[in-house]
Amino acid sequence: MAGDFFFAVGDVLSSETTYSSGWRLAVALGFVAVGEWIAERAGTINISVEGAMLAGAFAAAMGYDASGSVAVGLLIGAAAGLLVGAVQAHFSHNLTANQFVVGLTLNILVLGLASFLNSSLKPETATAHVFEVPGLVEIPLLGPALFGQPWPLYLLYPLVPLAWWLVYRTRWGLEVRAVGENPQAADVSSIDVNARRRQAVYIAGITSGLGGGYLLLGQVGWFEDAIVGGQGFIAIAAVIFGGWTLRGAMLGCLLFGSANSFRLSLPAVGHPLNSELLSSLPFVLTICVMALFAHRTREPQSLARPFIRGLR
Amino acid sequence: MTSPAAELRGITKRFGAVVACDNVDLALQRGEIHGILGENGAGKSTLMKVLIGLVLPDAGAIRIDGEQRRIRDPAEAAELGIGMVHQHFSLVEPLTVWENVILGERTRLDAAAARRRVGEISERYGLAIDPDERISDLSAGLRQRVEIIKCLRRDPAIVILDEPTSVLTPGESEQLFEVLRLVVERENKAVALVSHKLDEVLAATDRITIMRAGAVVDRRETGDADAPGLARAMVGRPVSLRSAGAALGHIEGLEDGVAASEPEAGNGPEATGPPPVLSIRDARARGRDRRTLLDGLSLDVRPGEIVGVAGVEGNGQAALSDLLSSLLPLEGGTVRVRDERPLPGRPGAMAAAGVAVVPADRHESGCVLDMTVAENLTLVSPPRARTGRALLDSAGRAILDRTGRRAHAERLIEQFGIQTPGADAPMWSLSGGNQQRVVLARELSGDPAVLVAAQPTRGLDVGAIEYVSERLREAAADGVAVLLISTELEEVLDLADRIVVIFRGRIVGEMDRADLDVERLGLLMSGAQEAAAS
Repeated sequence: MAGDFFFAVGDVLSSETTYSSGWRLAVALGFVAVGEWIAERAGTINISVEGAMLAGAFAAAMGYDASGSVAVGLLIGAAAGLLVGAVQAHFSHNLTANQFVVGLTLNILVLGLASFLNSSLKPETATAHVFEVPGLVEIPLLGPALFGQPWPLYLLYPLVPLAWWLVYRTRWGLEVRAVGENPQAADVSSIDVNARRRQAVYIAGITSGLGGGYLLLGQVGWFEDAIVGGQGFIAIAAVIFGGWTLRGAMLGCLLFGSANSFRLSLPAVGHPLNSELLSSLPFVLTICVMALFAHRTREPQSLARPFIRGLR
Repeated sequence: MTSPAAELRGITKRFGAVVACDNVDLALQRGEIHGILGENGAGKSTLMKVLIGLVLPDAGAIRIDGEQRRIRDPAEAAELGIGMVHQHFSLVEPLTVWENVILGERTRLDAAAARRRVGEISERYGLAIDPDERISDLSAGLRQRVEIIKCLRRDPAIVILDEPTSVLTPGESEQLFEVLRLVVERENKAVALVSHKLDEVLAATDRITIMRAGAVVDRRETGDADAPGLARAMVGRPVSLRSAGAALGHIEGLEDGVAASEPEAGNGPEATGPPPVLSIRDARARGRDRRTLLDGLSLDVRPGEIVGVAGVEGNGQAALSDLLSSLLPLEGGTVRVRDERPLPGRPGAMAAAGVAVVPADRHESGCVLDMTVAENLTLVSPPRARTGRALLDSAGRAILDRTGRRAHAERLIEQFGIQTPGADAPMWSLSGGNQQRVVLARELSGDPAVLVAAQPTRGLDVGAIEYVSERLREAAADGVAVLLISTELEEVLDLADRIVVIFRGRIVGEMDRADLDVERLGLLMSGAQEAAAS
């Protein structure tokens, strides 16, 4: 039995489709994680990224249905994500409501709304065409995974260095980091703490919406209620796993994405492992990783704490 | 005569029913260091926050260079040439020196220019610092250097310093005052130095304004001022300088006081005294971020003595207090209380072994503000804690004995003279001094073997300080081993029979009250001894 399993693992590891699907799943997480990373650096654990992703996926479906263009679909998806982010930001950093309660409520609200609208509107969708980057796609094993994918996937490639530059090389990014660590210090240095925090949450909303749109138009091809199915939460876990560094967060996405693809490809190569059991793999991995790393890393010092002027 | 750099007229600010500033006038002249002296809560900080735009006054006017201005936030203050060196909350630890210095500016981020700017300022004022160092790696003295550079980077005409020496060693304080003198004489700036310490105001300023209960009670030229007169003005009644020393930070003359006062009978430990009741050996601990908190700390406290732990804030005082509150597990070393070896970090272990703690932060860990006085007094009834069955009381019941607890609480209110409308009044309705009495009453009511008092008088007025000091002395006289952890050197000098100095998580020196040497103490606190030894 164990031998069979290892043979199957070997098959999976030598198959190009494993890498392709792992990369695709990692990219879906990556879109969310890149924005969530910024939001967390500014001090928000933005759990409504799950909802923003779902809103993005559904809005992208509607946008594609209406226009027939993947680009328009993605744009509308990003806008829907921004809307969810804006609500989250307003409630948690204007009205200083508990950010988790707001996020939880938003997630449930979006799920209900998308499910209802989907059953009544039934948008017609398709997947974006595959674009093979000439030359690079020839790289053995990894080429097709990295450079032979539906084109929306490539949007993440410039997004990651852009986010890094924004956070580490601009004044806005410096203020975001300051606000997440010590909002009082930022305040006396005449920085508008809650404005920076809101802006960071907007960005998380946009990239999550884009991630949802990518999931629909670049990967799945049709809308279903379970299309996101906790991937937003896994992206949050990836940020934590990465110790609040961008590199670490992206590595986390790759790890969790691969785990996910593993569960998809093991049955495909004919191994009779229970797929329901396997579908819990990324979550089990997340919990293990959190147990190992939760105490090692340095989180932003005022993560998840609201800032009210005048109160210490 | 030219108009003052800043002039505040009739400033009034209320917070609810409390009047923080009551019709206050103040003029800051160029080329002068202006001391603003007062006890905690006298309204000094509020007044300065009005000038910097962090607090909006209810009434009054501000003139800058003779022109009336409204200052609504720190950015507006900065534009008018007002800068402030904040003591708390103003540096972001994980960021570097240069990142902190330029925080809040509006120009494009230019790391090279920022580094250059930090270099220029540090050279101009003799404030050496590496711009790429992270704040979290810097000592308190260096952090303040960064604060000052951050303030001076915009070349302000008016510089405000709020209690700048509370985390500095005596040597570092002197350096700071030299820089201030330079700023005033060479660049003709106006400096406001807010302090509750008599000696530094006397030593460093040209003019003194004394505040009490939100109002200005006296103004002097520093040359005409003397310590007893200032102390009287600050407190509002004649005080013995010795007892005021702890409150007002007056060290001068204290050595005489110490020499004159013989240790009270039975209060001083004999050379062959009783065995220690509290004995910490080679304690090592690290924080969650792997930073070393305790680095081989060893300490003994005998029954009936007060051991004072002196040191600059942030050298392991909090960790020591946490260790004795069962909040901090050790990586190595032992704690022995009488014949027991309570497991460090196990909830309630220290309390069960007979250690009572008055924590440094009353509101965070000393009491529950939203519960009543009676509930706070009986929150942990120590006899129960000692049974080790935390949810049962001494009679083995799991249900609260309401009448018994209430009677107990009322006894304590009477015994400790706690001023409260009643046992059922909410804790937050009490003054700071009375809240501290509640904490003391609760901790002492369980007949502890060891009493740990961390910053027991922080933020209290003189009367409350006298009371707390008296209670600590009484506890020692009753045979309790008292460990006083305080960053107020004067308080340690006033109370302790034996003084140990904590530096970077270990005890680096010790002296008996009889052979006190303030200079050596200062050197020990700054770690100079360590450096010389290694």
